Amino acid sequence: MTPPPHPRPQPATPRPATPPLAVPPPLSSGPRRRGQHPGPLWRLLSSTGFRFALLFAVLFLLAGLAFTGVLWWGTAGALDRQVDAAIRADAMALAERWRDAGDPAVADAINERLALDAENQTLYLLAAPSGQRLAGNLEGLPQGFAPEVQWYGMSLERDGIPGEARLFVLPLPDGSRLAVGRDVEEKLRLRELLTEGLAWSAGVALLFAFAGAALLRRALERRLAPVTATAALIAGGDLTPRVPLSGRDDEFEALGRSMNAMLDRIAHLMEGVRGVSDAIAHDLRTPIARARNRLEEALAEANDPVALQGALERGIADLDNVTRVFQAVLRIAEVEAGARRAAFAPVDLVPLLEDAAELYGATAEERGQTLTTSWPDSLPLTGDRDLLLQALANLLDNAVKFTPEGGSIGLSAALAEDAVTVRVSDQGPGLSTEDRARVGERFFRADTARATPGSGLGLSLVRAVVQLHGGTLWFEEGHGQEATRPGLAVCFRLPLA
Amino acid sequence: MLPRFLLALSVLSFHPRLAFSAELRTVPQDLRYCQELAERLAAQPGGSKEPARSLGEEGLQLCNAGNVRTGVARLRRAMRVAQGR
Repeated sequence: MTPPPHPRPQPATPRPATPPLAVPPPLSSGPRRRGQHPGPLWRLLSSTGFRFALLFAVLFLLAGLAFTGVLWWGTAGALDRQVDAAIRADAMALAERWRDAGDPAVADAINERLALDAENQTLYLLAAPSGQRLAGNLEGLPQGFAPEVQWYGMSLERDGIPGEARLFVLPLPDGSRLAVGRDVEEKLRLRELLTEGLAWSAGVALLFAFAGAALLRRALERRLAPVTATAALIAGGDLTPRVPLSGRDDEFEALGRSMNAMLDRIAHLMEGVRGVSDAIAHDLRTPIARARNRLEEALAEANDPVALQGALERGIADLDNVTRVFQAVLRIAEVEAGARRAAFAPVDLVPLLEDAAELYGATAEERGQTLTTSWPDSLPLTGDRDLLLQALANLLDNAVKFTPEGGSIGLSAALAEDAVTVRVSDQGPGLSTEDRARVGERFFRADTARATPGSGLGLSLVRAVVQLHGGTLWFEEGHGQEATRPGLAVCFRLPLA
Repeated sequence: MLPRFLLALSVLSFHPRLAFSAELRTVPQDLRYCQELAERLAAQPGGSKEPARSLGEEGLQLCNAGNVRTGVARLRRAMRVAQGR
């Protein structure tokens, strides 16, 4: 069934053809309308560095605001609270006096307080219930006086000079009112000075925040420039450039190192793909060419039906070989992709070892070789039965092929605490240390194996199967007796779980 | 630019009496009040001692010369000195 088309938005106008290796746009440019060129302000605002710096600046300003709040509470706020406390205490003392001795005593106390007020800051009023002033330096109760309101902050005119006053009005039991206040003009001036200072500080802080944001953006752009330039070169088709490392142990250095590691890996994989392509072309050219020659010969001998049939059969056999190589390559790819992991099931390795030994024991016997086996009664593990049997068969096939006639082959398995170890040993020419490192690569054939038939895919499949089962593969010396034939032991270890 | 703007805002917000109309007024200080303060000073035990006495005389002279505010301030200071504050 064909899946429905993905609802992808279509461009309004046909897009011009882009060159295949177009250099990507610089990091700082964001999405914008086509045909619109970004100005310096747009570039600045769309920069990640600038946004980070702006975020930092906002946090800085918030911290500054919190600091200002605390400062305000501790200075201007404290002054206000002190003034209020003094007014309240004074009013309460006068009210107490009124309770003790009435209006004349309070009037006398007010006059006494005013006579001692050298700074000319105190405000007093004792008003009768009718509103008439009995004592004090205030003409009357404040404009907009409301009986239920006690505290007033209002403008004051003292001998024609404007100011600000804080006033507390206390009702007395007989209906008269006692007002006590302070001229707070000086304190307001101090508050203005404080506000002015804070406003300047905020302005300078904002200026520094913007300058810092711009500087940070430039610094980030400069640090990212080598990465951007390298990425552009890679996108241009050249895989050799690497991000130059500055030697500083910071995040950009880590990014550069990661990018270089990624590029090394990509280059290695590309080389591998190229190698496999070359190997396929090389290894398949011979059997295909041979098949073609035989078919050509058959065409020339078309009059002899027996010769024709023989040539056709040989041609078919050659083409079957080609098909087998392709199947092996595809199977290795399938195993490496992990697609077979879903088919994992509990399996006992012993029957598989017995089957493989029986199959290749006969072949070995035909070549006068001895197959020695050794394993416990049961080797339970979880895996793919067919793939494990295929891996064992490939190892035994190699051992039989490379061991000379009359030699011996060993097949053993052992159960460890948490794994099964399998060892296939022969008396063949063995493998050098360099070849052991490359023997898992597809189509790799050691120089000593050139004369032996094979495709160079057997051990690749074994390695892929072992890796699929979470195991490890390694090589040891075999049990060969001659110096030219030390033999090779291929070992692998599969975890039980 | 921005600091100026913030400053202007703050200044404006703390000057609500651009069109001044006081909600509270004090009684004007006059010569009679100066006399009252001088009498109160004279009644103090320390009012005849220096420097309270000189300060009081000075204050009264200022009041008589028409500088009532300054005279009142001087007389009040004399009161404080007389009370040993």
